[in-house]
Amino acid sequence: MQVFELSFVAAVLLAATPVLYAALAGALSAQVGVFNIALEGQMLWGAFAAVAGSYITGSAWAGLLIAILTTALFSVILAVGSAAWKADPIIIAIGTNLLALGLTGFLMRVLFDVSGSFAPRGLQGLDKMSFLRDVPVIGDIFAGQTPLVPLAFVFVAAAGIWLKATSNGLRLRGVGEHPEASATLGVNVVAYKTWVTIVGGALCGMAGAQLSLGNVTVFTENMTAGRGWIAVAAVMLVAGRPLWLPVACLGFGAAEAFGFRLQGLGAPQQLTDAAPYAITLLVLVATRIPWTGSRAARRRTAEPANAVLEDK
Amino acid sequence: MTDAAVTLTGISKRYGAVVANDSVDLVLRRGSVHAVMGENGAGKSTLMSILFGLTEPDAGTIEVGGVERRFRGPADAIAAGLGMVHQHFRLFDSMSVAENVVYGAEPTRGALLDRRAAAERVRELSDRYGLGLDPDANVGRLSAGVRQRVEIVKALHREAEILILDEPSAVLTPDEVTSLFSVIRRAADAGTTVVLVTHKIQEVLAISDEVTVLRAGRVSGRFATAEVTGPQLIEAMTGRDVVPVSNAGARELGGIALSVDRATVVEQGITRLDDVSLTVRTGEIVGVAGVSGNGQHELVEAVLGAVALTSGTVEIAGTDVSSLDVRRRRLAGLAVIPEDRRGEGTAVTMTTAENITAGHHRSAPISGSGLAKGWLKRRAQREEATRLMADYDVRAESDQSLVGALSGGNAQKVVVARELSHGAPVLIAEQPTQGVDVGAIESIHTRLLEYRDAGRAVLLVSHEITELQALADRVVVLFAGRLVAEFSRAEATTARIGAAMTGGVTSGSGDAPEGRTA
Amino acid sequence: MSAPTTERTSRRLLASAVRHPAVVPVGAVILALLVGAAIVAAAGLDPVAAYVAVIEGAFDPRSLDYTVSVWAFICGMGLAAAIPLRMGEFNLGGNGQLVLGGLAAALVARVSPLPGPLTVLLALLAAAALAGAFGALSAPLATRLRIPIIISTLLLSPVAVAVVSFLVRYPLGEPGAAVAQTERLPDAAHLMSLPGLTYSNIGVIIIIAIMVAFYVVDSRTAVGFELRITGANRRFGTYAGIHTGRLAFGAMAAAGAAAGIVGAIIVMSPPYRLIDGALLSPGYTFAGLAAALLAGGRPALLPVTAALFAVLQVGGASMERSADVPRQLSDVLQGVVIIVLALRTVIDARRTGRAG
Repeated sequence: MQVFELSFVAAVLLAATPVLYAALAGALSAQVGVFNIALEGQMLWGAFAAVAGSYITGSAWAGLLIAILTTALFSVILAVGSAAWKADPIIIAIGTNLLALGLTGFLMRVLFDVSGSFAPRGLQGLDKMSFLRDVPVIGDIFAGQTPLVPLAFVFVAAAGIWLKATSNGLRLRGVGEHPEASATLGVNVVAYKTWVTIVGGALCGMAGAQLSLGNVTVFTENMTAGRGWIAVAAVMLVAGRPLWLPVACLGFGAAEAFGFRLQGLGAPQQLTDAAPYAITLLVLVATRIPWTGSRAARRRTAEPANAVLEDK
Repeated sequence: MTDAAVTLTGISKRYGAVVANDSVDLVLRRGSVHAVMGENGAGKSTLMSILFGLTEPDAGTIEVGGVERRFRGPADAIAAGLGMVHQHFRLFDSMSVAENVVYGAEPTRGALLDRRAAAERVRELSDRYGLGLDPDANVGRLSAGVRQRVEIVKALHREAEILILDEPSAVLTPDEVTSLFSVIRRAADAGTTVVLVTHKIQEVLAISDEVTVLRAGRVSGRFATAEVTGPQLIEAMTGRDVVPVSNAGARELGGIALSVDRATVVEQGITRLDDVSLTVRTGEIVGVAGVSGNGQHELVEAVLGAVALTSGTVEIAGTDVSSLDVRRRRLAGLAVIPEDRRGEGTAVTMTTAENITAGHHRSAPISGSGLAKGWLKRRAQREEATRLMADYDVRAESDQSLVGALSGGNAQKVVVARELSHGAPVLIAEQPTQGVDVGAIESIHTRLLEYRDAGRAVLLVSHEITELQALADRVVVLFAGRLVAEFSRAEATTARIGAAMTGGVTSGSGDAPEGRTA
Repeated sequence: MSAPTTERTSRRLLASAVRHPAVVPVGAVILALLVGAAIVAAAGLDPVAAYVAVIEGAFDPRSLDYTVSVWAFICGMGLAAAIPLRMGEFNLGGNGQLVLGGLAAALVARVSPLPGPLTVLLALLAAAALAGAFGALSAPLATRLRIPIIISTLLLSPVAVAVVSFLVRYPLGEPGAAVAQTERLPDAAHLMSLPGLTYSNIGVIIIIAIMVAFYVVDSRTAVGFELRITGANRRFGTYAGIHTGRLAFGAMAAAGAAAGIVGAIIVMSPPYRLIDGALLSPGYTFAGLAAALLAGGRPALLPVTAALFAVLQVGGASMERSADVPRQLSDVLQGVVIIVLALRTVIDARRTGRAG
């Protein structure tokens, strides 16, 4: 009985981790005032680069490194475009998402001569923490996971502390809140926006690598399947408080893992697939309903929220 | 005393066809308070942007402490010992006073931000200049006066020897202005050079040691304050004897055109507008005075319907419009000149014709009638636009010019034409002359008086007491969202209005503001 | 005329040519094609052969008819993106709206007792209504709860796709079929074909009619004016008395309806079934979004930009066959066009200098 429950916890963590990396990327971008909806495409590229890297070098860790570096490079389009060139990050992101989808499919054909999915024999996945196997409870949860799983939570905590306690973190928060103020105090706003977005790219690379070399050992076309969008929703949900991201992402992980369970019990896959999106939206709705306050107060925001203006 | 802290020589800057600065020379003596005066558009802001490294001049040199400098950004200016307090504060509302002060020049301990040192620094500077700041207070919750002191400490923290204050009194109550002046004095006595950018003559005379006046981008006068008079400054600023437009007095008052009854607006738990009642009769201009941010904007938006009333009612021309949307309120007889021209008054990427007709596009002559209702007659739209542009002297290449390409004054005339030309019984004008040139101010003032004389009601919101005195038949004062005083035209002295703006004092006659409308 | 004058004239001509509204999209396309060529060449393939194959494939007289029908579908999905884009909103939920339209048409066709044209009409209306309602759902979420339309459409879409996929597989599925699909629709629900054409049917005409309607509404009506005002400056719109919440509702309903009608047309065309995944796999939604973005939401430009992506899509398949270049290159080019378009701000910044 206990084993069942712990394996469920493990499944939740597994599902949550890639989304958590991507959501951290999105939250950091939001802190510097870049509305980052390129997470989906960046994660997809990261997943592809990780598999391709692992296949070519024969080492999953090299694959991870390649995923991090190339996704960071990929995110330069968004970073420089939105920060230095003042282009609309939403339109760039729609473009890079399409580009990632096309390019991964294209390269899969050109480089490996397959389409649909790529899982060559001998493809190395990331090592699991099997040395934990004999530790009670922890072993049950983490022995089958890659180190990237606990690392994601460490990253979020580190980012939260860094933002709060360091002078660079202070500057970073200021850049998003009031860029003109930062600029008049001699802080290079463009540099902060650019670099934070690129770091976000690297995090999406990790998200993708965990997905394609950690959760499974295969790359399939469009394998992120909307996880990047869930991450965007998670960023909105926590509204600028990165330390709450794990909660939001674990919620998503629970929905996915629970859906998986239900599938095992005979529930149709289509409906369990839809559950994470429906639940994310419902939670978003629930947190935004003004449960208190008069009707008039509710009526007053009779104006649609604009994505560009919303939540920085 | 020729100890120059800063010497600007031959500064020129043009934006397209507009010459913002034309070989301006400016010498700031160390430890002095130097006023830079001029009307809107005279080039003060450009000059200060250049001095603070926000803009690079086309020509001219900047010397600080005898050394020629070239500022590529504000960071260079800060390093050279300059500090600037902008008119619109540049503060991080979510952060504490200490965080705001040290931002960009933080004390650190290892890799970490040294919060204790930051707080200590704020306390030290606050004590030295008598500012009374709490380092841990959240900046978003502070009043405008305290926020300004945070801005000053920001500059002092960076060891600024030259402090530029851009229109510092615009957001302050008269009391706060007095305490600001004592801070300025103390700083100057301690050796800081203070540049005071302003268009208010009383302030220049009260606090400065020297004055440089700008007109149309050029220096039009240089004085020692002790040797200059108000009229001399006015002449230097305007180049002529100004006969300000003035209100000859209302003729006959008609019935109540606009009635706001016990209006309250609560936003996110904060009461922005608190139980405000007022009426405006036809043939009357009622001025709304107050320091910016005391509920004026909420009052305007509540009457317009852009913000819903938490409680209370609004009647326009006898109709209760409290539950109607903006469009129906406008149809009921309301016109609004909004405060923020680029934010709410125009769409800068659309044509002048489209801007000048927007909002009237569902009625004749632009919209068809009967079966053609809802159809746009584009030729009629352009003809109407051309007519209005001629009537209101909007200078643009054509009716197809984008509003973003017009000057501030012309863009404002587009707004004025659109709102005035339909003769709505009630007009709300919120800061109608903000950021426009002298000529446009005069023409807008004349239009407002004519509008009233045509038997309509005008509610004029302004932060300029002089503008209210020139135009209003009656002045009410808002403080902290409440209507705290009401003055007849004769009673509306600067001292009385100023006192009421601080919220401390009651009105000139009695303390029942709603009671005096008849 | 003296030499300096000529030079000045020519420079002014050049400047005004650079400012022409068509320059940006055309430039974006040319740049994207160059980037695509570089990618193909880097992959060791022949870019010239690839592009020749694209053109030949798309304009092959035998399949031109097919290209036209793809163009129409991209136009339809382009409308679904362009209508909200006109007021500054992004509808990224086209997939969900598309499949709901297909579902509604399939359901109506199944139960309708009416004769041919009426069944078709009813199916189209039902598709527009269901998908329109689904699209419009995002408006109150934005108005009341401040959830941006771009986010809610994205989260709602996969839910609709999954529900339709479930219905097609189980309750509505054809028993014993190898793939998840409905039974063949009754003859009454088959769209009238156009004389001499195989792929294009009356559906193409319907979509063209919707595009014309959008053009007329956009340029000649009060509502269209309000859409453009709101897109240019939402606060200004509110102050001018425009009910932006209601406008968003209408725009999203219209967008959803356009997508739904595309879904209905596809289902009521050969092979006259709602097949799981078949509405989404050609990628009309994102091709349409790309076309709408490239056109800047302008109704007059949409057919042109849609044509570009239709050519890429149809030609992509023949490029794969004859030049051995993977058809995913079309997606790559779509992405690159949008990116280049977004990055045009660099040129704008150079052009206007640092004035203001």
